Amino acid sequence: MLINLFSRAVLMSTPLLLGSLSEVFSERTGVMVTAIEGIFLMGAWAGFTAAYITGSLAMGLLYAALSGLLVAMLYAYIVVTLKQHQIVTGTAINILILGLCSFLQRVVFGVPLSPLTVEPLQKIAIPLLSKIPFIGPIFFQQNILTYSIYVLVPLGYFILYKTSLGLVIRSTGENPEAVDVSGISVSRVRFVTVSISGIICGIAGAFYSIGYLGKFTTNMIGGRGWIAFAICFLGNWNPIGAFVGTLIFGLAEAFAILMQANASTILPNELFISLPYILTIVLTISRKSFNVPSKLGVAYYEEH
Amino acid sequence: MSTPFFELKNISKYFAKVIANKDVSLSVDRGEVLALLGENGAGKSTCMKILYGLYQADEGEIFKEGERISIRTPRDAMRYKISMIQQHFSLVSAHTVTENIILGNVKGKINWKEAENTIQQLAHRYGFNVDVRKKIQDLSVGEQQKVEILKSLYLDANLLIMDEPTAVLTPQEIDNLMEFVENYSRKGNAVIFITHKLKEVMHVANRIIVMRSGRIHGNVLKEATNEMELSRMMIEHSIEELDKGEDKREAGEVCLSVQGLTVVPRNEVPLLHDVDFDIHKGEIFGIAGVSGNGQQELCMTLCGAMKPTSGSILLNNEDITHLSIRKRITLGIGYVPSDRHRYGMVMDMNLSENMFLKASYSKEWNNNGIINRKKLAETTSRMLHKYDVKAPGPYALARELSGGNQQKVIVGREVEFCGDFIIFDQPTRGLDLGAINNVHSAILKEKKNNKAIMLVSTELSEIFALCDRVAVFYKGKIQGIFRTSELDSQKIGLLMAGYTHQEVV
Repeated sequence: MLINLFSRAVLMSTPLLLGSLSEVFSERTGVMVTAIEGIFLMGAWAGFTAAYITGSLAMGLLYAALSGLLVAMLYAYIVVTLKQHQIVTGTAINILILGLCSFLQRVVFGVPLSPLTVEPLQKIAIPLLSKIPFIGPIFFQQNILTYSIYVLVPLGYFILYKTSLGLVIRSTGENPEAVDVSGISVSRVRFVTVSISGIICGIAGAFYSIGYLGKFTTNMIGGRGWIAFAICFLGNWNPIGAFVGTLIFGLAEAFAILMQANASTILPNELFISLPYILTIVLTISRKSFNVPSKLGVAYYEEH
Repeated sequence: MSTPFFELKNISKYFAKVIANKDVSLSVDRGEVLALLGENGAGKSTCMKILYGLYQADEGEIFKEGERISIRTPRDAMRYKISMIQQHFSLVSAHTVTENIILGNVKGKINWKEAENTIQQLAHRYGFNVDVRKKIQDLSVGEQQKVEILKSLYLDANLLIMDEPTAVLTPQEIDNLMEFVENYSRKGNAVIFITHKLKEVMHVANRIIVMRSGRIHGNVLKEATNEMELSRMMIEHSIEELDKGEDKREAGEVCLSVQGLTVVPRNEVPLLHDVDFDIHKGEIFGIAGVSGNGQQELCMTLCGAMKPTSGSILLNNEDITHLSIRKRITLGIGYVPSDRHRYGMVMDMNLSENMFLKASYSKEWNNNGIINRKKLAETTSRMLHKYDVKAPGPYALARELSGGNQQKVIVGREVEFCGDFIIFDQPTRGLDLGAINNVHSAILKEKKNNKAIMLVSTELSEIFALCDRVAVFYKGKIQGIFRTSELDSQKIGLLMAGYTHQEVV
């Protein structure tokens, strides 16, 4: 039972980590990806649809990535190139994507009589490692996306703190002028980072449709993009912090699912479903010091 | 004639409404220190930003050693070994010295140890005492400038452009900087020094180019000129000599009295530490010091925007330590803040609305919550006239005015609406000489009106020209209070750098 809970926690934290890691990189350049909820949903829809039509989950992930890229580029065009307000733009895009996905779902599939499903991503047990008692089933009997986060966290940390690229990214969010004067285009850094974030967030969205449930509904993201967004804050804009944060939320979510399954509890089901959301509020309030990138959310006007 | 190292030919640059540079041609040779002299807004910085690739010239060409080059971005400029230190440093304050210096100049994986060693050695070679692992936010302004210079040296620059490099330094730091400039140019490098201070020009430059309203108005060798001639070239109208008024030995009655004023944020070093002074009626009391040594906090505490941890403030023998900002305004405290864009005005509102800000509750134009706009506009017009503000009228937006005229509006407002005590926090920062003169006259006039005046300034010349007494601030403490006649710039410089009174005398 405990193994089951933790294993599920790792599983459920996967998309949150992909989302918050993208958010860490984007926000370090000074751009909040407030369209993250919409990008998740777009990825979920595109991933499911492509997988259903082609019968290939790989194609599903590819299309999820592409659709995430498109939405992110639209967002980046508006906030980086046109320098519009990030929160307003993101909110508008999120509403747009919600409507768009409902519409496209109807256009492509009509009103199906039975629920449409695909076979979700298979769990792959890693030889030897998965045999370790307790640890093995929790960490090494997961799907391919979950394995990717084991690589992405240290990689993200390495890029951010040990490479020139990371230095440029961190400097762009702190003092874009310094980056500009060093002869690097602030807009390009921001645009490219947000675009790559879009690819990763698209895949994260597809996790909910084809990576886990095997179906698509328009309310399936249900604020999880925003949770990833909040985790980036809670993790202090650090990949390791984001990793710890997502594990906590993954656990909350796994706990809620477990409680739902064993409906014999005294407390109402809805309380457990709302657990991750309550946790977001509690943790955000209780977090004491933040290392906010000083130019987060501020557009940069190049002098030349 | 030999080919110049770098040469600008017939450069012109137009912004939407104004001509920033018109037909500017200048050159600099190896081993030369060229001073670019002119008032604020004369086009010095624009011209240099073109050379550094931050702006694009609309007309004209740039040459390096006789060959035409194209500089479209700072990256191009760096390729031609040009480096520029901006007036407002472009450093990332949350990052270390090393991180700042290698930003944009490394590829792939960073070898931190090697980078730190290289930069530390470079610093030693030029005698810069900077810890490369420290964060910029923990460094003094003078040290930050050294980091900017190190960045240029790291890039192996041969032409170093410095925009108003001495504005934020203590006299001793300025001497060190000048020494560096001389050493650096002696090695066959060129330096262009943008400034509006005549004294520095005469000290450091080999050749001087004077700019005025975007054009070149003189190109002279140092030996062939003097300060009088330069100032004539720089300024179109002559400046009237200021009459400081009598140096009153017997002061009037005490207007403002500050006793043991201390501000300590939780668990941090004190911003103000046990500050004591009195300001008398009819006296200008100067606050000198390198900026960031508690002057801002002192002003905020006096006007009520910051709460003191302990100590008391008395205005005309009444304890105002715990009164609100509004009560203090009614009691007659005027405040001209140093950052007029942030604290002084609302840029997108018109002038009469900006006047209204300070006295919105005054019965004169506030009729049960409804503004008597006509009366307000009349008062504003009168004031614009009185303070010689060049503005279309009371309905002009604050943003449309030049910095000098904005400042005149604020000075006028604070002087007109206040009773006895006025704080001027760096009232002439960033203004051209004409506007500075205007502000100085206004301050002296209020002195004659027997008001008590506190003048915070980082410009020593301003302190000496206006103040009767001066308190020198260092790290939130008063180093000593002196009559200005007792001090010279050498002594005050040492006090500003943290030496005590005993060490100085």
